[in-house]
Amino acid sequence: MLQATALSKSYGEHVALQPLSLTVSPGEVFCLLGANGAGKTTTINLFLDFIPRSAGTATVNGLDVAQHSLETKRLLAYIPEQVNLYRNLTGLENLTYFQQLSGQEPLGKPALLALCDRVGLPKGAADKRVSAYSKGMRQKVGIAIAIARNARALLLDEPTSGLDPQASNEFSAVLNDLRDNGVAILMAKHDLFRAKETGTRIGIMKHGAMVDEFAAADIGHADLEQLYLRHMRN
Amino acid sequence: MLTTIIRKEFTETMRDGRVRTASIALLLLLGGSLLYGVRQTRLLAAERDTARQVTRSHWVSQKPKNPHSAAHYGIYAFKPRATLATLDDGVDPYVGVTTWLEAHKQNEFQFRPAQDATSAQRFGALTAATTLQLLVPLLIVLLGFSAFAGEREQGTLRQVLSLGVRPATLGTGKALGIAAALGVVLVPATLFGVLAMTGIGAGSDFTRVLVLLGCYLAYYIAWLGVTLSISAVAKTGRVALAGSLGVWMLVSVLAPRLMTDIVRALHPTPSAAAFASAMKRDLDGGVDGHGGAAERDSLFEAAVLQKYGVDSVAQLPVSFAGLSLEEGERHGNEVFDKHYASLWSTFAQQERVREVSAIASPVLAMRSLSMALSGTDVAQHVHFQSAAEQYRRQLMTAMNGEITTKAKGTDFEYRADSSTWAKVPPFEYEAPAVGWVLQRHVPALLLLGFWAAGMVMVTWWSIRRMTP
Repeated sequence: MLQATALSKSYGEHVALQPLSLTVSPGEVFCLLGANGAGKTTTINLFLDFIPRSAGTATVNGLDVAQHSLETKRLLAYIPEQVNLYRNLTGLENLTYFQQLSGQEPLGKPALLALCDRVGLPKGAADKRVSAYSKGMRQKVGIAIAIARNARALLLDEPTSGLDPQASNEFSAVLNDLRDNGVAILMAKHDLFRAKETGTRIGIMKHGAMVDEFAAADIGHADLEQLYLRHMRN
Repeated sequence: MLTTIIRKEFTETMRDGRVRTASIALLLLLGGSLLYGVRQTRLLAAERDTARQVTRSHWVSQKPKNPHSAAHYGIYAFKPRATLATLDDGVDPYVGVTTWLEAHKQNEFQFRPAQDATSAQRFGALTAATTLQLLVPLLIVLLGFSAFAGEREQGTLRQVLSLGVRPATLGTGKALGIAAALGVVLVPATLFGVLAMTGIGAGSDFTRVLVLLGCYLAYYIAWLGVTLSISAVAKTGRVALAGSLGVWMLVSVLAPRLMTDIVRALHPTPSAAAFASAMKRDLDGGVDGHGGAAERDSLFEAAVLQKYGVDSVAQLPVSFAGLSLEEGERHGNEVFDKHYASLWSTFAQQERVREVSAIASPVLAMRSLSMALSGTDVAQHVHFQSAAEQYRRQLMTAMNGEITTKAKGTDFEYRADSSTWAKVPPFEYEAPAVGWVLQRHVPALLLLGFWAAGMVMVTWWSIRRMTP
């Protein structure tokens, strides 16, 4: 579903992403681990065609993202570290707006409210303006948007950073759901524990390069931490 | 999808307290200036009607007297106030709307409120035109500056663009959403204005109203384009706001100011004193500045005597006084034509510079068209002045003819009876048709269209190249 082939990005002399190849199939959760500046967000931006690539290709469902910029985006859902919503609109209005802008049949209010419920938005919050929301509530609306859009692939950029453990846990449950429904998920992460929990594959990135890649099932929690730290120290 | 975007922009805008306050303030200003304008128009129309009747009744109720005395007594001509002048006073306060038609003279216009104005009024009176041309663009800036830049700053633009929305669709939706929010202010104001003006008889001005509405539409499209294209490239809302306000300052405040100076430098208007003294020189001498009144008189007398085949003035079958008065008018008219033609051609040249300079600022084009359609531009002032002068000449010819034919030889004491005065038709003035007006403002029309179309293209271009 998501495929990068020798994908790279440099700004003049500075190489933000060294040639990267990765594949995320339907039903897979690919976790990118690494420090800030390791190239995780750059990878996601390249899949979104928000920045022009320097070399290589990125495809979604076999379509090149640079050539089919709009079509590929319609297959994707993107949740940033900080889900940004329109402050003067209610959660439900935001959800409606983003859902309809994806070019799909508008979902009715009951369906959208059910969705708010499913992602764990507190009762009654959907009709409040977003300016009164906590970060966690905004993230939940972001997830609801992603689900409502029926995306075939998810790009998540530190989606749970700053969430309390319960919210984080609920989020993992939703992701597992989506994964089981055949959605391909590419996720940038800090949290090794969550990566091991939700990921099917894990890649470790450093200075714009993927230094290691393996199946999450092949490694234990403690080993993952050891491995990660070893890569960071080198 | 487009309606979704429009609805969202509209809702979001209307929930913004700043926008609400600004809209209400603008609505009040517009309503206030319209009410004031309507009151002013009614007042002036009533005053003019009364004055017209008074001057006419003074004229027809003159006692039996020499027609030349009647010619000196004269008549006042009043420029009718077009209904749309309610919106825009134009040059009226500066050039006046009344002139005295009398023998021997083409008088300057009088009743110029600008002469009596306090220095504070130099900043410009609050007319609906000022509000529509300067303040509504500010509201557009306020409504639109954050359209893209604000969303970029908030991070929502990134999310919207990640949905695979065509940027052009997004831009169109935003433009229409902002237009809808603007409509909340402008549609009631327009309806109110049209209704208020219908009350004072706008029927004949309907085409002018429509053209004016079209012009304002183009003008606001240009402003929306400026605001949105700046917003599409600015990093933050604050930068976009500063940028749009900067443009506003440049084209609404600086450009007109600068233009006045440029116009004055390129085509200087003679001072009133210089104009009057040049005219006096020609009136006293020949039109070419040579020869004197005495020389002209003796030549004329010889010619008249020859024409009638008599030896002395006393033998003439007609009044020599009437003939020489008419000759005096003829000479005077020649001089007036020469000087006013040159003054008016200076005005026309100034107008041309002003209109062409609209390439630097849509405000200049809009201002020019607003005055033109309101019937208060220089061209229509000149049109009225020419009509009044034409009437004056007919009046003088009629009075002089009366003396020439009814009196004989050197009879200076001839008295016409009261019925003579009523035979002179009253001065009726018909303002030029809208086509006549527009013909004289083709550069402004073209440039305003150019601004609207150009800004739509610039907006399109900058939105297509927009980055999150």
